[in-house]
Amino acid sequence: MHEFLAQLANGVELGAIYALIALGYTLVYGILELINFAHGDVYTFGSFTALVVLVALRAAHFLHGAGLILGIVAALAVAILACALLNAGIERLAYRRLRKAPRLAPLITAIGVSFMLENLIELWQGAAPVPFPNVIPNPELEIGALQVGVQQIVVVALAIATMVALHYFVKRSRLGKAMRAVAQDRDAASLVGIDVDRTIAITFLIAGALAGVAGFVGGVSFGSAWFLNGFGAGLRAFTAAVLGGIGNIAGAMLGGFLIGLLESFSTWFIGGQWSNVAVFSVLILVLVFRPSGLLGESLPEKV
Amino acid sequence: MIYAYAFVAIAACVAIERFHNRKAKIAIALALAAFLAVGPRFYGNEAIFSVLADAAVYVMLALGLNIVVGFAGLLDLGYAAFFAIGAYTYGMLASPQFGLHLPFWALLFLAAALAALFGALLGAPTLRLHGDYLAIVTLGFGEIVPQIFQNLTKYTGGPNGIAALDVPTFFGHSFGASVMPYYYIALVGIVLALWISRNLRESRLGRAWMAIREDELAAKHAGIDVLRSKLAAFAIGASFSGIGGVLFAAKLALVSPDLFGFQVSVLIVSMLVLGGMGNIVGVVVGSLILTIVNSALLPQLNSLVDASFHTTVDLSNIHFLIYGAILVGIMLFRPEGLLPNRERRAELRNSGEVEAEA
Amino acid sequence: MSLLDLVEVTKRFGALTAVSNVTLKVEEGAIFGIIGPNGAGKSTLFNLLTAIYRFDEGRISVDGTSIAGLTTQRIARLGVARTFQNLRLFGNASALTNVMVGEHLALHSNIIDSLLDTARERRERKEAERRARELLRFVGIAGVDEHFARNLSYGTQRRLEIARALAARPRLLLLDEPAAGLNPSEKQDLLALIRAIRDTGATVLLIEHDMGLVMNLCERIAVLDYGEKIAEGTPSEIREHPRVIEAYLGAPA
Ligand SMILES: Nc1ncnc2c1ncn2[C@@H]1O[C@H](COP(=O)(O)OP(=O)(O)O)[C@@H](O)[C@H]1O
Ligand SMILES: [Mg+2]
Repeated sequence: MHEFLAQLANGVELGAIYALIALGYTLVYGILELINFAHGDVYTFGSFTALVVLVALRAAHFLHGAGLILGIVAALAVAILACALLNAGIERLAYRRLRKAPRLAPLITAIGVSFMLENLIELWQGAAPVPFPNVIPNPELEIGALQVGVQQIVVVALAIATMVALHYFVKRSRLGKAMRAVAQDRDAASLVGIDVDRTIAITFLIAGALAGVAGFVGGVSFGSAWFLNGFGAGLRAFTAAVLGGIGNIAGAMLGGFLIGLLESFSTWFIGGQWSNVAVFSVLILVLVFRPSGLLGESLPEKV
Repeated sequence: MIYAYAFVAIAACVAIERFHNRKAKIAIALALAAFLAVGPRFYGNEAIFSVLADAAVYVMLALGLNIVVGFAGLLDLGYAAFFAIGAYTYGMLASPQFGLHLPFWALLFLAAALAALFGALLGAPTLRLHGDYLAIVTLGFGEIVPQIFQNLTKYTGGPNGIAALDVPTFFGHSFGASVMPYYYIALVGIVLALWISRNLRESRLGRAWMAIREDELAAKHAGIDVLRSKLAAFAIGASFSGIGGVLFAAKLALVSPDLFGFQVSVLIVSMLVLGGMGNIVGVVVGSLILTIVNSALLPQLNSLVDASFHTTVDLSNIHFLIYGAILVGIMLFRPEGLLPNRERRAELRNSGEVEAEA
Repeated sequence: MSLLDLVEVTKRFGALTAVSNVTLKVEEGAIFGIIGPNGAGKSTLFNLLTAIYRFDEGRISVDGTSIAGLTTQRIARLGVARTFQNLRLFGNASALTNVMVGEHLALHSNIIDSLLDTARERRERKEAERRARELLRFVGIAGVDEHFARNLSYGTQRRLEIARALAARPRLLLLDEPAAGLNPSEKQDLLALIRAIRDTGATVLLIEHDMGLVMNLCERIAVLDYGEKIAEGTPSEIREHPRVIEAYLGAPA
């Protein structure tokens, strides 16, 4: 029972991170039908920018008392900003020209961008994992039989707050409505006066910002950052997005938590070395048997 | 020296591509084959044979993947899995692992058959998927296979893999420590792969692939069995990779799961993209360029930079950057690759897929 | 027995009934026309015949064989070939290759033949190529053999698609608005071509908007409106049919 609850907490924590990344895949796929393969690496970039900020602040002995809170906010803000700009920059430079190209061209390009980012991050921060400054105190709390760390609570709370904010943004704001319109029908949206290029750019900014949040909480949660983190996390998050129904925001969140739980429980039951097999089997099964995902509507084939 | 061979080979390929006269093409191809067979015996050493053998194996892999991606239009991002299956076939059946020491030559065929079988097994449930979904599923498969090899420690030696693989023999003569025989086998393999690729392209099956690539719905209306044709592409493509895997494992006398990751799959995709998807000669050129860059140019550049600036910059660490830049650069600026064929050039240039209605 | 037999066929898209309770018989050797306003369900009917869509109710059989549950590819094997209202050629392949793909079912080489370029493969390829050239000539576009399909003029593309469909040696040829976008003289040629196709023994089922062409060409005509068959008969019967005149708002037919 004890172990079960601990794995549950772990799974939720992992799931929160995957959900944040999955949202980035789903937003972009929803609007461009592109698997932004580089998205996972944007997440890695977020971890490292937050890490660099925190390391610098720690070296300046800034991280005490109120400075600690300010430092954390600053690291988070820098990660968000950096990832948003990076993601939008990628769209502008690499994908925009290929909007009308055959479907596989932007995907191949995205894989190329992913490889470049991984290599650049490796050149910047080295090939070994870098410890993430342990800035959030982590005493264990006992809630009944459940033991959770404060970090876990912070991670999950931050992730959920972000998702709620995103939900309202997309549902209520003008920009959010424009995003949905462009996702539905790009030509029609442009006919009613929506600036399609700008809307797509903003979608990438938001997806990047979410990856920035994920990068920060991922760093806190795993206690380290590594140049290849984004590959595995990205694929899991993409699986989550597909599982939930790609293009569907609630689906990405649901899928994220489910994949997090799957990973943590499969690690418990059959060992961590099988987690890739478990996750990718889910991916394959979902795509083969229910490509529209749990919450997606099945689209009639266009003829 | 190695550059001379690569340069001659690439120049000959370009010439073959540019000439229209069939006889001239054949003459150049024969001259090139003779040159590559004889040249290294006189101007070469073990190191050169080694690089050339690797290059030849990659050319075979690229030709195999070209059947899947270039001909049938199915982006396979897990192609290294079949390479792994081929390599492990040799690793497990020709080593002290089980005390089985099956002959190298038989295993070449067995590996081809096994890889084809797994290609079909993967394809059967997934080939209904379209475009990027198929790509991601194959990627997932490509991640699963090495992990299974890594985890089944009892059979596969786990993360360390299997070492001390048998040294092949040829009519009782052991290959010994030389890598030369692998080069010649791979050379013969390339000739066969080229021949088969050409046959397929001109065949009924090849036309069916073209039709599926261009317009799957119209292909169905012509009576083409789309699923079977795609399966055939997967199986044939995988079998090339299986053979490549045996050669690779035997030459290295080692298999281990980390040799067959996603990077390998992307490397081979990069070769196709660089040379020109679908074009046989272009694919050969693409794979030659990338192998030479990887196994000769980068290490040499590295020592040159280190020696002249007294640094220890690891230039061999920019492989990913190079593959990535190739993928992005080619897709943006020359989507048909360096040496495209007629059809793919038009296809990739005239963008804007038409969502026609029936 | 009729070559094509539809009994009370219905197809719905959500709330919309695109084809409603249609019964139709097409005799072997006929040139049969289907007319009706835009959105009447004509193309949908073709899509049901080639299993692009599944019909919700009714029966369809080709030469006595029910096509319920058959795939597009299996229906092609029954001898049904078609063209599309919006052309679907293999744009980046030569005209010749387009037609050779159409011959797929007429060839027998298997995967081994294809891998090894056996004598059978070569013989069939030669024969397929010869026939493809012949078909290009037959539809009146000899000489475009090596051109990419996408670079051909619209009228030529329409003919090329017909040639590709004919390459399968169909018993039933479905033509979806073959005259759309053609000029009067091209239409005249098309009329002759369709007659010539019928004279080779194929049955032609034709969707067309050009009344002159349809009345001239078809022995029987069915009229669809809002998915329903409102009339069927010979051209002169159709011309005088009150519901047809009503549907076309009294426009001179
Ligand atoms: N895939 C589909 N999904 C929903 N509605 C469709 C679909 N295909 C056709 N329709 C509708 O069915 C009706 C008949 O269309 P169609 O058969 O193309 O008419 P036409 O007689 O002009 O060829 C139209 O209202 C069209 O919008
Ligand atoms: Mg129509």
